[in-house]
Amino acid sequence: MKRIFVLFLIAVLSLVSFAVKLTFWTAPNAFQEEFWKTVVAQWNKMRPDIQIEVQTIPAAGSSEEAILSAIAAGNAPDFSENIFSGFAAQLAEIGAIYPLDNFGTDFQRLVEARKMKNIMETWKIKGKYYVFPIYSNPMIFWWRGDILKSLGYNEPPQTYGEIYELSKKFADGKKKFTMQVISGRNWWDRWFDFITYYYAATGGKPYIDVEKRKVNFGDETGKAIVQFIYTMFQNKWTAVELGTNPFYNGTILAKITGPWEVNWAKETFPKVVPNIWFSAPPVPDNYPKDKPIYTFADTKGLVIYSTCKDKRAAFEFISWVFSNVQNDVLWIEKTQMPPAREDLTTNPAFAKFMNDKFFKAYASFVPYAVPPALTDKTIDIQQSMTTNLIEPLMYLKGKPEDILNKAVKEINKLLF
Amino acid sequence: MLQVSSKFGKKERLFGYSLVLPYLAYTAIFWGYPFVWMVVLAFTKWNYFSKPKFIGLQNFLRILTDSTVLRIALNTLNFLAYLIPMVLTASLLFALALTKVRFGKTFIMLSFLVANVSSGVAYSLLFSNLFSINGPINRLLDDLFGITIPWFSNPQLAVFSICLIITWKFIGYYGLILYAGLLSIPQSLYEAAELDGATKSQIFWKITLPLLNPSLITVTVLAVMLTFGIFTEPYLITGGGPMQRTITFLIYMYDTAFKRIDPSYATTVAIVTALVSYLLVMLIRKFFEKEVSFV
Repeated sequence: MKRIFVLFLIAVLSLVSFAVKLTFWTAPNAFQEEFWKTVVAQWNKMRPDIQIEVQTIPAAGSSEEAILSAIAAGNAPDFSENIFSGFAAQLAEIGAIYPLDNFGTDFQRLVEARKMKNIMETWKIKGKYYVFPIYSNPMIFWWRGDILKSLGYNEPPQTYGEIYELSKKFADGKKKFTMQVISGRNWWDRWFDFITYYYAATGGKPYIDVEKRKVNFGDETGKAIVQFIYTMFQNKWTAVELGTNPFYNGTILAKITGPWEVNWAKETFPKVVPNIWFSAPPVPDNYPKDKPIYTFADTKGLVIYSTCKDKRAAFEFISWVFSNVQNDVLWIEKTQMPPAREDLTTNPAFAKFMNDKFFKAYASFVPYAVPPALTDKTIDIQQSMTTNLIEPLMYLKGKPEDILNKAVKEINKLLF
Repeated sequence: MLQVSSKFGKKERLFGYSLVLPYLAYTAIFWGYPFVWMVVLAFTKWNYFSKPKFIGLQNFLRILTDSTVLRIALNTLNFLAYLIPMVLTASLLFALALTKVRFGKTFIMLSFLVANVSSGVAYSLLFSNLFSINGPINRLLDDLFGITIPWFSNPQLAVFSICLIITWKFIGYYGLILYAGLLSIPQSLYEAAELDGATKSQIFWKITLPLLNPSLITVTVLAVMLTFGIFTEPYLITGGGPMQRTITFLIYMYDTAFKRIDPSYATTVAIVTALVSYLLVMLIRKFFEKEVSFV
């Protein structure tokens, strides 16, 4: 008995000491970290031969900067999540990530098991799949239902004209503003304002023609959107700076956000949360009433780096996590974010979440949520949009149409 | 040569080399290697993964046609126009005030130096909240006068506000340099001037200021170099906006290297920035530096 025990101990010890050790970077978000720590703990217990170490993406301006700095310094993790499509295109361009197609039928089987065949098509970069999408967050507007009710509303306004009407009743240009129209000055903020408005107003038309390398938003719809943004700033119905937590302290009536804010809002502002109403992003007055309104999908995925010590081992872990639907159930429980799968509304495993008003609202927009353009110039394009389009509109520098035309010209130059 | 080497025994020479070696090794690793790599990068195209590809002077030619570089050059002039007068006046006032203090001088000096050693990220976030549109300063202004100031959202005010923060950070450090300069001016000069009936203002403009020239030039040179190296405050508070007015050379280098994955061009911008700042420092010294002697 003693001998068997010693042999067993030696076997376990040799397995652990010869185990592959992989570093996995997760998004700097407490709820996502919790999910990954739970599944990785299960995996490490089950597979002593492939040990995963979870680390949060180091604090930096953005995850992209942290990852690029790590690549430059030769400290890149073996695999990581929180990768948006444009960044993946950039990483693929420099050969920093490994195509998942190389895992052949195992990869195809995983895609089928997770019911994400169509979703995968929107992530194809130069004919290959480099990213395994994890979640797809439709961006929707949250409204202060309690204040709207006191102003005589039973549902949130939807068109630009309706928002102007509401603004006249509520905003004073000093302490009260209708809504947050512009999300910020970072390049990624354009996803949550102009690009979202463009998707909403056009039924999900791409804002960039990636193949022809030209801008699409210089059209009539683009003009209507810039006029809306300009009007809101000109009348002081929104402001460049709205202070800290303006939605929760009643400074503004509406803001756009993703499901990542749900758990935080429930914990931090429990009194405001029950009064929140939802709506699609605003649309021009002539938008057909019976047509669904599209929005932007903040969707992120997982990649394996070219420098990964054991790519097959990393894929085995990914495959183990995502071929089990219960892990997607756990993902929703922890993060409230809709997994990137096509059976959310039909799979009974997710039925219980439909009772939650937040999850239901977000899940209902998943079919109408469009991911960003797959271009390796994402950052440059969106930085140019900030400088040449959003900031001039915010500071009322010129006529809206001229501002739009100049921005289109500048971005076309970048794309050419 | 033979004569020199014969002066020292083998042991002494070995001892000498062992003293010099750590310094040479340190310089080779932390200065020599990056310098060589910098030169290589400036004349090549590299994306962290592939092998650097030689492209001659293309990176340098690109700077000439890069409209962002021109914007940043104008921004740097704008920063200099605010920062130099602000930092010189504030640190001179601090130094002059320090000469009048009788007790607790060390404590005051240390208190002002705390700003200089505090974390850039921490105080940037602090000021960002302090000056935000519904922050304490604007709340007070609104209560008292019914106005709010867009500290970071108006292009010129954003430059001014960032200069204000940098001045706050460096007032103690530069003030001490000027204070040391003030102490080195012989007391007898002031006594002689007083006996001759000079007014306080005359003493300041004709004695203190001219004799403080070396310290003032030191502070000006340090402030110019500081301006070319501004990063943390605009990066964290304004993100280079509004209207690209607070984007600096360092922000551009960082973004180019780590967001656009173009370390070669970022290095070239760094070289040109270093040369321009060196040229400016030389010009300041040529036109404003005066020989001061107390004999």
